[in-house]
Amino acid sequence: MTDAIARTEALGVTFGAVRVLDGVTLDVPPASFTALVGPNGAGKTTLLRTLAGLTRVADGDLTLPPPGSTGYCPQNPGCAWNFSLEELCSISPRPSEALAWCTRLGAGGLVERRLGSLSGGERRMAHLALALSIPAEPYGALILLDEPTADLDAARRLLVIEAIRQLSASGAAVVAATHDFGLARAASKVAVLAEGRLVAHGPPEQALNAEVIRATWGVELAPS
Amino acid sequence: MTRGAAAILLGAALLAVALMTAVSVGSTGTGWGEGGALAMLRLPRVLAAAAAGMALGVGGALQQGVFRNPLADPGLTGVFGGALLGAALLLGFAPEAAWERAWHLPAAGFAGAVAATLALTAFGSGGGSSRLLLAGLGVNAFTAAATLIVAAVRPGARETITNGAYGDWLGTASPETVWLPGLICALSATAACSLAPGLDRLSLGDDVAMTLGGDPRALRRRAALLTAAAAGAATCLVGQVAFLGLVAPHLARALAGSTHRLLLPMSGLAGAALLVLADMAGRSALPTGSLPAAAVMAAFGAPAFLWIARRRDD
Repeated sequence: MTDAIARTEALGVTFGAVRVLDGVTLDVPPASFTALVGPNGAGKTTLLRTLAGLTRVADGDLTLPPPGSTGYCPQNPGCAWNFSLEELCSISPRPSEALAWCTRLGAGGLVERRLGSLSGGERRMAHLALALSIPAEPYGALILLDEPTADLDAARRLLVIEAIRQLSASGAAVVAATHDFGLARAASKVAVLAEGRLVAHGPPEQALNAEVIRATWGVELAPS
Repeated sequence: MTRGAAAILLGAALLAVALMTAVSVGSTGTGWGEGGALAMLRLPRVLAAAAAGMALGVGGALQQGVFRNPLADPGLTGVFGGALLGAALLLGFAPEAAWERAWHLPAAGFAGAVAATLALTAFGSGGGSSRLLLAGLGVNAFTAAATLIVAAVRPGARETITNGAYGDWLGTASPETVWLPGLICALSATAACSLAPGLDRLSLGDDVAMTLGGDPRALRRRAALLTAAAAGAATCLVGQVAFLGLVAPHLARALAGSTHRLLLPMSGLAGAALLVLADMAGRSALPTGSLPAAAVMAAFGAPAFLWIARRRDD
């Protein structure tokens, strides 16, 4: 495919002597939502950081969108200073867009509050809003979210899923590393990683079938 | 007008009042003297304190921003100590060269501050707050000891260097010695304000800063060079002043908020006002003689440091 926003081909990443990603080939097309799933240590965060251009590639090919097109929210987003939510949004290249995302994610009433006074879930929504505001245009944008629904209550989780749907419907490519199978089942494609290798990739019902779950997580699902 | 902009204006007004008051107050009384003669005599010293205070305040905010740590004060991490050591080496081993050109002493201070920054980065980065502060304490202890050794082995410069270590060089301020270091202080503090957007991005961590379009390594290099320039020039004016680089940014943060667009100029204003007032208090508070501005700053800065340390979560 030539129209992928990001692409890895036989990608390998090593940290010292440890091979964290091995032979990963993945296309991330526009207007898509890809969920990266896998057990702890499978390489999900490393693949996400590689797609953000933050990791040195040992071998294979990596194609990334132009600078300024990628929004990234790490697994444990933090801020060194006790900014207000409004001050946090002012760091974005598009502060008004960041504030608009705060409103869409249900944090519009918190803009004058300081980060230190927010709950963990509220803080995550603030950092997600910042990440989603970075690309100028949804079409061609690459949005990388690491555990976007961790710490969130059910309502906020639904707001995040809805935001991802809106973005991908507008042409963005969203990639989320997650342990949340509910979020993964809302994706257009699921990529299953185990020990740094891509072991399944396809629509959720195909990539998350009982055989893959048994082989990857060692969990035997009862036949439905 | 936003709260931050109002705080900057208020800070500028308070600094103006502090400057006016400081040129009016002498060790034996108040007043500008006949035709302002006394005020003109005090002016170089007051301007030196303002310029050095501004540079040290901005230097503190820069280092806190770069290390993402509210306890990262160049006075505690040895960068200001490195500047004094650089100046002391020149004063001790090449005293003629030290005064030959106006830029020689600030350049020596700059070189010392750069060396201390390199040592701090080599030993203190990548391990969280504790490693940074431990490395900083080590660098600071080394620079302090080395400065005293230089003073001990070069008797001709002993008094000058010891006065610098006590932060007691403001008393020697004259237009000839103040203009260039003062200009470097003002320029480095102004240039530092251009790093504000990058420091705001860096507050979210290197990874997010990079996806927001920043280059953390380049930003750290520029911030380190500007901090060293500010430290080198400020040290030539006042000697070593503890806690100002810690207290000024914290005061600024409380008044103007945490975004560096406001924090950096506010730290400069707060640092300038604090050092001007500390110098004024030092030369007028005691009937038996004057106290170095650094001693007054430490008397107020040490409790502030303890309060800040107490409020830390980690």
